[in-house]
Amino acid sequence: MRLYEPAVFTLSESTQNIHLPDFITKWVDVGIFVVNREMNITLWNNFMANHSGHSADTVIGKNLFECFPELPKAWLGKKIQSVFILKNLAFTSWEQRPYLFRFPHNRPITGGVDFMYQNCTFMPVKNGTGEVESVCITLFDVTDMGIFQTELRSAMERLSESSNRDGLTGIYNRRYLEQRLATEFDRSKRYGGHFSFMLFDLDHFKKVNDTCGHLAGDAVLCAISQRINSLLRTVDVLGRYGGEEFGVILPSVNLEGAIVVAEKLKQIVAQTPVIFKETAIPITVSIGVTEFKAETPNYEHLIHCADIALYFGKENGRNRVTCYTDELES
Amino acid sequence: MSVAPLTEEQRDAMQEITNIAMGQAGSMLATLLGTFVNLSVPRINVLALSEVAGAIGSMVGRNIEITAVRQSFHGYLRGEAIVIYGRDGCKELGDLMGYDEVLDRADEIELLLDVSNILVGACLGGINDQIKGITEAQGAGELSFSAPSLMAEGVPAEVLIDPDKLTWTHALLLEVNFTLEGRDFISHLCMLMPEHSIEKVRNILDEFIASL
Repeated sequence: MRLYEPAVFTLSESTQNIHLPDFITKWVDVGIFVVNREMNITLWNNFMANHSGHSADTVIGKNLFECFPELPKAWLGKKIQSVFILKNLAFTSWEQRPYLFRFPHNRPITGGVDFMYQNCTFMPVKNGTGEVESVCITLFDVTDMGIFQTELRSAMERLSESSNRDGLTGIYNRRYLEQRLATEFDRSKRYGGHFSFMLFDLDHFKKVNDTCGHLAGDAVLCAISQRINSLLRTVDVLGRYGGEEFGVILPSVNLEGAIVVAEKLKQIVAQTPVIFKETAIPITVSIGVTEFKAETPNYEHLIHCADIALYFGKENGRNRVTCYTDELES
Repeated sequence: MSVAPLTEEQRDAMQEITNIAMGQAGSMLATLLGTFVNLSVPRINVLALSEVAGAIGSMVGRNIEITAVRQSFHGYLRGEAIVIYGRDGCKELGDLMGYDEVLDRADEIELLLDVSNILVGACLGGINDQIKGITEAQGAGELSFSAPSLMAEGVPAEVLIDPDKLTWTHALLLEVNFTLEGRDFISHLCMLMPEHSIEKVRNILDEFIASL
């Protein structure tokens, strides 16, 4: 809402009558107001008047918090008081507190925000002897900046989220799975605690691709991912490790607990075939399970152990859960 | 380029100026917060860029996760102040600053910025008031400050200043610690002024010494 009075700009004849700083204070497209020690308003420029709907005449001499009961009095009072006591600037930013005043903004249709976003600076106004007589507050409309930044942030979040996902199944990809495994490993190494890791693999998946086609294979990968994801807790991390191989991180779960989860997982896959174009495709999985121990040297070792156990399961009949032990190494 | 350290005399003079300034800052903060504020005796050093990270680390403690806020100041003196807090920032001070008991994430950051602004303003304002009286700096007037911003959260203190990413070579570092009586709260204020300001500080100090 910009209000200009072009007539005032014809400086030639009227300069003598206008005091330029007063003119600027009054008309600049920034909120400016002043309060004294009693929190009474002593200056209120046009920006403030236009956006608040309260003209200078109606608020000057009145208490700020009585005129605007929606202001957070305890906090804002403290803030203004700090300027009186410390004779120092103070600031508020839209990023932590979107607004002080509930002002309408200039994007009521396209904005998606409820009130004008505001950045404020509080300045001490000193008299000749250096005492702070009042506090001058400038208020900038930063609604557009706020909207752009919020959009940018959500785009960045979506981008980072999609870079963590597997394109086919929508579960996490190998990069993210390893990253989370490394984080979980570091945390447990530092603070102690349990967690388990498992790798599982769809048995004879090549045969599905060969006999039913790659589209059926893809459908199977998606269906099994969904099924298993629904079984896991939200804190668990399911990722596609590669091809038909998947990994699961189970935070705060010891080996015993991980075996229970693995058995359930094996069962939920085996009990119902995946239906693709009216063809029932029976699927089973082999699962290798291992847990973090204080002596585990690095997170890669957990992948190695789960892989060894998985391989053993494959060699010994499939559709089974195998725990890693040192004996499996040979 | 090498920058000479402050002479013994200059350092004493700086100590005297900052002691008076900190005394005033402490009493103003006490009035504002309604609790007694302890400020340490300021430590003053001219440091090479490569030494700053170490100095900050030894002040705060190594392997401690910290949260830091920065704010720039400009006037006769120019530089940046960094306020360093422990892991919990300054949640402990919410009630003193007019917040309700439960702080959400935005409140916590706002509180950090507010407290930092107050500490920086009180200390640097105090120093500026002292040096304003010295002829060399006359006409310098008031210091102005940028809005404070969050610099780092939950990082080790040593990584705060990364020499590889910065272009200055020397800085004057002034450190003060704050504690509050009866509260589990500590923060460290580092005021850093680059080469250009060091020379100005030297001039002021020489003038201060000559006037004694």
